[in-house]
Amino acid sequence: MNWPTIKLIFRRELRDQLRDRRTLFTVAIMPMLLYPLMGMAMMQVAQFMRESPSRVWIVGEEKLPASPPLIVGGKFNPTFGMAESQLIELIGSTAGDGHFESLIKSATSSTDDSASVEEILRQEMQKRKMDLAIFIPNQIHIPERPKSNIETASQDSTSPPATQVFVLTDSAIDKSRIASERVNRILNQWSKEFSKETLVANEIPTSMIQGVVFTTGDVANKTGKQAAAWSKILPFIIMIWSLTGAFYPAIDLCAGEKERGTFETLLSSPAARSEIAFGKLLTVMTFSMATSFLNLLSMGFTGIFVLTKLSSGMGAGGALPIGIPPLASIGWLLLALIPISALFSAVALAAAAFARSSKEGQYYLVPLLMISMPLMMIPMLPAAELDFGTSLIPVSGLMLLLRSLIEANYTDCLKFAAPVCAINLACCWLAVRWVIHQFNSETVLFRASERFGIGAWIKHIMRERRSLPSLGSAILCGVVILVAKFFIGFAVTAPQNFGQFALQTVIILVATIFIPSVMMALFLTRNPRKSLRLNGCKITMAAAAILAAIFLNPMFTWLTGFIMHIYPPSGDMLMLQEAVSRILGSAPGLWAIILVFALAPAIFEEIAFRGFILSGFQSIKGKWKPILLTSLMFGLAHGVIQQTMITFVIGLVLGLIAVQTKSILPCILFHLTHNSLAVLLSQANRTVVEQSPVLRQYLYSTDGQNYQYATFPAILMSVVGVMLIIWFLQLDLKPSNRSEAYGRVPHPN
Amino acid sequence: MIHVRNLQKTYKDIQSGQFTALAGISFDAMPGQIYGLLGPNGAGKTTALRILSTVLKPSEGSAIVNGFNVTEQPEQVRRQIGFVSCNTAIYDRMTSWELVQYFGQLYGMPLDRLHSKMNALFDRFQMNEIRDVLCSKMSTGMKQKVSIVRAMIHNPPVLIFDEATSGLDILVAREVLKTVEQLRDQGKCIVFSSHIMSEVKRLCDRVAIMNRGVILAEGTPTYLAEKHEENDMEELFYQLISRSEAQLESEKNAAAAPPRLASPLTN
Repeated sequence: MNWPTIKLIFRRELRDQLRDRRTLFTVAIMPMLLYPLMGMAMMQVAQFMRESPSRVWIVGEEKLPASPPLIVGGKFNPTFGMAESQLIELIGSTAGDGHFESLIKSATSSTDDSASVEEILRQEMQKRKMDLAIFIPNQIHIPERPKSNIETASQDSTSPPATQVFVLTDSAIDKSRIASERVNRILNQWSKEFSKETLVANEIPTSMIQGVVFTTGDVANKTGKQAAAWSKILPFIIMIWSLTGAFYPAIDLCAGEKERGTFETLLSSPAARSEIAFGKLLTVMTFSMATSFLNLLSMGFTGIFVLTKLSSGMGAGGALPIGIPPLASIGWLLLALIPISALFSAVALAAAAFARSSKEGQYYLVPLLMISMPLMMIPMLPAAELDFGTSLIPVSGLMLLLRSLIEANYTDCLKFAAPVCAINLACCWLAVRWVIHQFNSETVLFRASERFGIGAWIKHIMRERRSLPSLGSAILCGVVILVAKFFIGFAVTAPQNFGQFALQTVIILVATIFIPSVMMALFLTRNPRKSLRLNGCKITMAAAAILAAIFLNPMFTWLTGFIMHIYPPSGDMLMLQEAVSRILGSAPGLWAIILVFALAPAIFEEIAFRGFILSGFQSIKGKWKPILLTSLMFGLAHGVIQQTMITFVIGLVLGLIAVQTKSILPCILFHLTHNSLAVLLSQANRTVVEQSPVLRQYLYSTDGQNYQYATFPAILMSVVGVMLIIWFLQLDLKPSNRSEAYGRVPHPN
Repeated sequence: MIHVRNLQKTYKDIQSGQFTALAGISFDAMPGQIYGLLGPNGAGKTTALRILSTVLKPSEGSAIVNGFNVTEQPEQVRRQIGFVSCNTAIYDRMTSWELVQYFGQLYGMPLDRLHSKMNALFDRFQMNEIRDVLCSKMSTGMKQKVSIVRAMIHNPPVLIFDEATSGLDILVAREVLKTVEQLRDQGKCIVFSSHIMSEVKRLCDRVAIMNRGVILAEGTPTYLAEKHEENDMEELFYQLISRSEAQLESEKNAAAAPPRLASPLTN
């Protein structure tokens, strides 16, 4: 690649975009105007907004004690809450117009008829005549201490009955909920005062009911508190604007150029496709960063202005919890903006290169946002923390790192900066590779509009059938499996016994994995047997696969433990594991567990993944890319993140065996052996292990229940396992006629 | 200068499975010669020219441009050609001066040489008045002029004009044709695609008449007139295309018809 050419393209594209009024408006003018206007509007609206009073009806007000007084002059006593009493309007015997009082009188002979009163209150509440109702059924008076001795006083039979006050709210209505909060604050204070007076009247020291007094302290300084508040908001804002800011210029630079016909002129110039891609990428990145920065700046200034105004309006004691963001946080944000923009720009550019027109390009924004949003939302969850596990999640890890930097938590930052940077740089690199691939792909650059019809499409698929599955059908099969597994999860109910569990497991495997792959092999390929890799294999290969599974088992067990340590299973997962363990207890024997957990998945999963899907992915050049992609699908099909990781690694070994032996038979044997060993290890107990001198050497347990491989034999076994994999790698097979298998079937003209 | 042999291009098509844009065309174009590609819409002219300009890769066959293979040496080929397409394909948000300079720089021309060349071309094409005018503000004719200057800036030995006069008014079209003639006289090898007979008759030293990805007839206009006993180029074109379409239609019908069973009585 020639840097001066990239620079030349970048400068031209930059100038071109700066001359585009729409881009300028979106990137610069809109943020400059939007936030100040929003701030002004907010302040204007705030002037007109006032808290409306809550309408509260008290029935039985006369039964309240004279001291402490709850109601003074037709309002709640301001001693129990000055602000609240101002915001409550009492409608009752003294404050109301007599309508409610007459209702009560007509329905009951006296307000002692609690059930009738409650019913009337309920009806009136539903009619929205009031926001809250209080009903005092009995006379409230300060109880006197019984004259008996202390033992009898503690008994329920002699202690005075508790005073009851009913508070009726409608939690479905906001106004009623607000009224409830206000009234509860007043009633709580009044109740405390009432208790105090009761104690005083009975000559009991009030300190007796104080219990333990908690004094709280906060070591956070003002800057720290502000940083904590901003650390959650700012990374999210720059991420969103970075993506949005990248998207529109990307569409104009790719899809727009296609529409205007200038793309072809550029492609016929001496600039290499990669140079064009990089030049455009730098432009998109610049606009992405500028959009984020200007939004941040404008929002910051507006925020400071609005917050200052609001704080001054609240008086000396009313400081807002969120102030001006610390200066250091701005610095970190600007630094993080570079990789964030690079990543989003590359993804946006690749999507835009695929679009035929600007209009089509805009349709891709929503899916892109839908994919990015969960990654941006994870770090905003209260429980989300920067650890090794989260540092490996693209975007989320970066956001968490940024959060830690803003919070000045440098120890965590130093610990996890390397994995965060590595994973995000890897994503950037992959996205850039994708962009260059798009720019080199003739079918992407000159995609013509085709009228889509289901009939024509099916005909096209049948006509274009190859001997082995295509890349598209492999992806389709993987997606169908994932979607089917997702939806079947809603349909199944918790099994009650092992029989139900076994049947359910096998049906799920058949319906979601086996049937889709076999159907696709039958309808989308000309050679289903070869597509599903249903070939025989040499006995040595089969034996090597079983031995590899045995010898690699300690390594996979250790890996499982390691992954579980990094990503501890959630509460739900632990409950599920417990439920499965309980069900396995009712299994008729070990053979049944192995049948369900080892044999069934080994057959059905291998047919789908190492059979159809791997065959499809093998239309991509190279040995490892198809294996990698198949393993990824295999991992994803297992749903839970921990399982996904483990099965991904196992999938790599299975994929290699399938490619080298050209048969799924060794894969089934490996899978069966591996799962069987996992079952046996989980079912191993002290009696079994102690009775076997071999097992005693290989297994140990710290708690007598969960057995693990002893370190030295495990290392030794792993070495042998790796050697067996090397043996598979060196298998000298006849080179396949790749072009014949994957090449296009000539279409008779 | 340009040697095309058995050039084929097929695309995937959801309706028909596979669409053949070029079904193996061969021709040679020499320096100081205008080679005309003549054909109706969809004949494969633009596909052939896109392959020559390395924007598309051929499915089969080869094309050599000034000694460089379009598949193996695309970058060198791009330095040998100047491409003018039917849609003016210039950047609306650049002035004509900026645009020509940009492409000159992409071809690696030093700025001083580039500027002197640009001055000469702007004088020659009387474009000094529109030097600093944004291309979006120009008429179609002006835009096409800018496009031609852009294609000529690096003084390429081969120039490709893909229906360069389509949509232009008669005055501008004449000017373009005059430029093409001048370039031919300078010894450039020119490939000129069009479906306007008068242009082809006036300009082209050799002509290939194409339809549905194949060359139906090829030679000098005089040779074609003598061979097909038709002096009127437009009539000759019409006859060849009609005949080709009729032949294709009958082949299609024959393929669609069920095979006739041999009667034992007649054998």
